Amino acid sequence: MSERELVLSVKNVTRRFPASGGRFLLANNNINLELYRGETLCIVGESGCGKSTLMRMLLSLDTPSEGEIICLGQNIAHLKGEALRQHRRHIQMVFQDPAHAFNPKMKIKDILCEPLLNFGMIKKSEVDTRARQLLEMVELPGDFADRYPHNMSGGQRQRVGIARALAIEPDIVMCDEATSALDVSVQKTIIELLVKLQKEHNIAIGFICHDIALVSQMSHRAAVMYLGNIVEILPSDRIKDGAMHPYTKALLGAIFDLNMDFSKKIDSIESEIPSPLDVPVGCPFQDRCDQCMEICKKENPQLIKMADGHEVACHLYTQTRKEDK
Amino acid sequence: MLLDIKDISITYGKNPKPTVEHVSLSMNEGDIVSIVGESGSGKTTVIRAVLGLLPGGGKVSEGDIVFNGTSLLSYDVKQWQSLRGSQISMIFQDSGAMINPIRKIGGQYVDYIRLHKECTKQEAWDMACDMLTRMRLPSADNVMDSYPFQLSGGMRQRVGIAMAMTFNPKLLLADEPTSALDVTTQAQIVRQMMELRDEFGTAIIIVTHNIGVAAYMGDKIIVMQHGKVVDSGDRDHILHHSQDPYTRNLMNSVPTLEGLRYV
Repeated sequence: MSERELVLSVKNVTRRFPASGGRFLLANNNINLELYRGETLCIVGESGCGKSTLMRMLLSLDTPSEGEIICLGQNIAHLKGEALRQHRRHIQMVFQDPAHAFNPKMKIKDILCEPLLNFGMIKKSEVDTRARQLLEMVELPGDFADRYPHNMSGGQRQRVGIARALAIEPDIVMCDEATSALDVSVQKTIIELLVKLQKEHNIAIGFICHDIALVSQMSHRAAVMYLGNIVEILPSDRIKDGAMHPYTKALLGAIFDLNMDFSKKIDSIESEIPSPLDVPVGCPFQDRCDQCMEICKKENPQLIKMADGHEVACHLYTQTRKEDK
Repeated sequence: MLLDIKDISITYGKNPKPTVEHVSLSMNEGDIVSIVGESGSGKTTVIRAVLGLLPGGGKVSEGDIVFNGTSLLSYDVKQWQSLRGSQISMIFQDSGAMINPIRKIGGQYVDYIRLHKECTKQEAWDMACDMLTRMRLPSADNVMDSYPFQLSGGMRQRVGIAMAMTFNPKLLLADEPTSALDVTTQAQIVRQMMELRDEFGTAIIIVTHNIGVAAYMGDKIIVMQHGKVVDSGDRDHILHHSQDPYTRNLMNSVPTLEGLRYV
């Protein structure tokens, strides 16, 4: 791979929400991430791990309590007014449920061209032709321009969602569980479309997902989140064999894969995820980890680099690294 | 033969075209059958028909459902009441939605037990606690004293399974029991459902769109599309040797760790 262009970097971002009794809900704890042009970064984690909060901050729908988000050389964490409006053309979003993502009273062509008109990129008279082009880009017939969202199936609507996100040619597209409301066969076609469009337009995709098998198939890199912390970042082709963090391994063990050994009992961690209101001191995963040590209860492990593009936050590996030195 | 669904067709309201056409299924005690298919393929309608729970004017227009030698279609309200919960019970996608949100778990559970069995409140309470403990819910008394919203999704689902299993039914119908759960919780619930069969000999029909779960649990897998059974057979047949193009396409669409990488 030649020189990779950094389009978005998240530096030490923390987000706390005030809760009752003067406590704070720690949704994101000291997150560091980088997103490169033409690459897909998947964020994997269970519900409540803070992946959607992180995404909302990247989209400037929420502001971090601490830290910076640098997009194309500009700190976007605290943008306001016109600067924020102009910035929005760089990052667009595809939503989880395409049925609720559109105004039901607008025709598809108006939905698709609204962002273009907002930014003055086309004239009103061009709406029809532009909408057709966009629909053809996502492999839908151009006649759909005059339909309403309820006249379409879920997969078709999600294609329109993608077309709308790409209409103003953003640098980054964020997908929040963009395929989890769809059937598997539809999911497959949507993923194929996303990958194709990514290659054509050279965009960076941030993809939130809870299906680690899908992540391993469609992304370049994956970040695994647990209770507001990133516990492991690894290249996706290493997910199957190279995962190191006990939580990543637990996620892998809990997959029902078609190629699995069906006579084997399925592994899973028994306990429940702790409340983010009182995150334990030390490693967030300590209560559910079967390799928990003394140090895990005192110190939160930092991400350390294990190989190129592979970072892991776990004391099991901090120890061995120290011994090596 | 525990359950025999004989060539049923189900219609809703005045629509002459059946939603489910000519579905047959027979199972013995301790069998697990998975029904897979995409949304709208009629899989939930089939198992709802077994429990007589078809919504909005749905009715079985053809065929027969025979449970333990008697036809279920001729049952009246009283007979249904004695059957549901004690002989056949059901787990829903989100057990939280089936539990009354403004009552504590304990009170509802006790009512449910006393509806089916003559006993004192204390006996019912102990029985409920015992069942919750068996479903590996930590501190059963605490759960009994909670409102549904105070429990996590996985815990609520376990309460649902505990309630369904209280009277040791012969047949358990599970409608997407893990679809709303996280993967690690899903694995826990699936394992517990498998243990039900080993422990109680319960026959299970599981409806799911997660083909991995269906393949893991089911001795037999039924693939449905547009209200018809397009393919059925054991795991090996469905996963590897199916001749049906729809089934093959469905299997190829499931994301797997070893699968084709798109990037």
